[in-house]
Amino acid sequence: MAISDLLGGFADAITPVNLLFALLGVLLGTAVGVLPGIGPAMTVALLLPATYVLEPTSALIMFAGIYYGGMYGGSTTSILLNTPGESASIMTALEGNKMAKAGRGSAALATAAIGSFVAGTIATLLLALVAPTLVQVAINVTTADYFALAVLAFVAVASVLGSSPLRGLAALCLGLYLGLVGTDVLSGQERFTLGIPQLSDGIDVVVVAVALFAVGEALYVASRLRKGSVQVIDHKGGWLTKEDWRRSWKPWLRGTALGFPFGVMPAGGAEIPTFLSYATEKKLTKHPEEFGHGAIEGVAGPEAANNASAAGVLVPLLTLGIPTSATAAIILAAFQGYGIQPGPTLLTTEGPLVWALIASLFIGNVMLVVLNLPLVGLWVKLLKIPRPYLYAGILTFASLGSFAVNADPLDLVILLGLGLLGFAMRRFGWPVAPAVIGLILGPIAETNLRRALAISDGDLSVLVDSWFSRVVLLLALLALVGPVVLRAVRGRRATPAEVAQEQEEDREVQTAANREGGTP
Amino acid sequence: MNEAEESVAAETPATPVAQRPGSFNGELVAAVLLAALGVYLLVDAGAIAIPGSSNTVGPRFFPYAVGGLSVLTGALLALRVLRGDRGPADDGEDVDPDAPTDWRAVAVIAVAFVAHALLINVVGWPLAVALMFAAVATTLQGRLTPVAAVRPFLVGLTVGCVVWIIFVKALNVALPGGIVLEFLTSWF
Amino acid sequence: MSAVVVGYVPHPRGRAALDHAVLEAHRREALLVVVNSSRGDALVDEEFLRGDQLRALHDELAASGLQTEIRQPVRGRDVAEELAAACTETGAELLVIGLRKRSAVGKLLMGSAAQRILLDVDCPILGVKSSPRES
Repeated sequence: MAISDLLGGFADAITPVNLLFALLGVLLGTAVGVLPGIGPAMTVALLLPATYVLEPTSALIMFAGIYYGGMYGGSTTSILLNTPGESASIMTALEGNKMAKAGRGSAALATAAIGSFVAGTIATLLLALVAPTLVQVAINVTTADYFALAVLAFVAVASVLGSSPLRGLAALCLGLYLGLVGTDVLSGQERFTLGIPQLSDGIDVVVVAVALFAVGEALYVASRLRKGSVQVIDHKGGWLTKEDWRRSWKPWLRGTALGFPFGVMPAGGAEIPTFLSYATEKKLTKHPEEFGHGAIEGVAGPEAANNASAAGVLVPLLTLGIPTSATAAIILAAFQGYGIQPGPTLLTTEGPLVWALIASLFIGNVMLVVLNLPLVGLWVKLLKIPRPYLYAGILTFASLGSFAVNADPLDLVILLGLGLLGFAMRRFGWPVAPAVIGLILGPIAETNLRRALAISDGDLSVLVDSWFSRVVLLLALLALVGPVVLRAVRGRRATPAEVAQEQEEDREVQTAANREGGTP
Repeated sequence: MNEAEESVAAETPATPVAQRPGSFNGELVAAVLLAALGVYLLVDAGAIAIPGSSNTVGPRFFPYAVGGLSVLTGALLALRVLRGDRGPADDGEDVDPDAPTDWRAVAVIAVAFVAHALLINVVGWPLAVALMFAAVATTLQGRLTPVAAVRPFLVGLTVGCVVWIIFVKALNVALPGGIVLEFLTSWF
Repeated sequence: MSAVVVGYVPHPRGRAALDHAVLEAHRREALLVVVNSSRGDALVDEEFLRGDQLRALHDELAASGLQTEIRQPVRGRDVAEELAAACTETGAELLVIGLRKRSAVGKLLMGSAAQRILLDVDCPILGVKSSPRES
């Protein structure tokens, strides 16, 4: 029974030591997530080495704190500075900053934080309820079905993330290639190792993630360093009024309802549900005139959707072992680092561990909502770190994390090489996330494909043998062809166009802000 | 907001970073390289030994598939780029999308990073990282004088030593500390 | 026309410096140049005036009856360099700066902007710790 398991999880998580690790994770995650240029995925990748030496339970509890903390930190900055660090925060930043300009910055921060808490709590509860049921189904999933799921995840991630499906595919190919390097698990043959002995174990996922996210970002920022600062909104003043609560609670719930399913599906993360939530709130609001000028619903809904989808992502990760976001891919790598392979058997083999993880997600959420608002002043202080030190520091921690894996300087050279790749990808608008997902999911897809074909003696029809795999592969086909057809019909996909539009506006706001100060 | 929505339809594909016509097209090179990677995968996959026991689908199958996909994607992307479709460069809080690329900064960071990788086992991680930190921070400050590098170096050395002490002494991560630091901290 | 240059930050010490500078500018019938610079190397610089704070400063200077000028250079240089540049350009006869108390450790870690200003700037310097009204 899920409830008693969950209570058992709480019992494991609420020991003084584990609470301390949860608190540490929450604080580290928020602090790093607040820093400009660092999204949740990079936060998790950079802080991974901090959990290496802990025993799995404590490490994953700390990790849960880092995961949610990174999310909170990211949205805090996006409201405070009107600089959405990632596409999922664009909507939050849009209305949140308008609210701030109208003198309601504290209310914007509060509705975002409490909305994140509500969404995170409900979605984690849903995760706890759904996971055992889904595991029952997943146990019967065949290797061919698994392959189909992996293909769907590939296609969805490649076509949803980034500026165009083709660029997403290009990034995916790079990730799949990196996943091929090393010793083939099934036959024991070395592949594409170029005769370098260190490569026979494959390229470490942590090294790739840190390289593409952290080193790539540092190089990219260095190549186009912004001069000048932005205005921090005034976060002093009153928190939520009764009226704010009344207007916020429905968007929180609706955002959660939108965000969670999108997180569960391999649909490329939180971007789409936040857009949908924003559009829904705009349609349903009794104050349509406020939208675009700081409507509280426009902060509450998308922020809830963002966090609910973060919890939803854990469902396929914990029940199927399939990561649907870059952050989830890194968490999967963390599991593998402890010799644990997430999948349908995870709940039976590592039950207490998983429930302790889920329980600490609840605990982390409570800690975050309690700590986040009072500590806003502290987070703003972090934003005063000069960029030269910030990016030098990011490289320092990138070095630490990658060197700590194998204590081999060659890893650092690979890190730089892949960092240059990440730098190039950013220049050309190739999304980084599909590469990380391809790297970790590629071997899983290959293993399942070959097992399926080994059972069928090479008969390819086994791949479409079950209804499940047929539906999933059809969805994958739709995800691949859909955008192309839609573009042909409508000229252009609405969502990315909106993103571009919004980013354009943001940039204008920012350049204006910089100009304001830039002229002597 | 309404204004923004109306202008969406009329908007041309976003190209925030204006690339002058005739200028060096990096993405075309990247697309061609991706296709070349695909060719390499297709060719080299043929050299993977297949153990006798394995049946139809051995260790070559997936590399062939990935290779084929890479060639296809690279070629299609190259065509798209040639037709004038440019990927929008990434945006970020600390990125100035209109700034010209500072290749010197990229080069200095790359060299400093390789140097620190090679120095770790010689002088220890804290000092190697402090030197890298100093080089990166000084470059990003835009002033490359020895005097301007003193503070970044001290900051980097502090960060390096503190991180080393936390991770090595408290968390037992294996990280060479260098003779001096290891001697000084040998008592705990 | 002679000039008085003042370094201004939205802190008590900046307030003190500005008040003294206004007095000095009246006494000398000089142009008052208010310098509020930022290195511009961090995403957030709370000492750099914007929006309401900037408007308030404009209004206050307009009400002072002096001829004034506000400079907000963002050129990646530190305060000492920007103040020295402003003094040289305007041929200032006086620079007013606000000082804060710092512990020995604080001085060691942060260096001292005031010390660098004293060394870099050629014109006479008035260092103040509190507003003329209070002292």
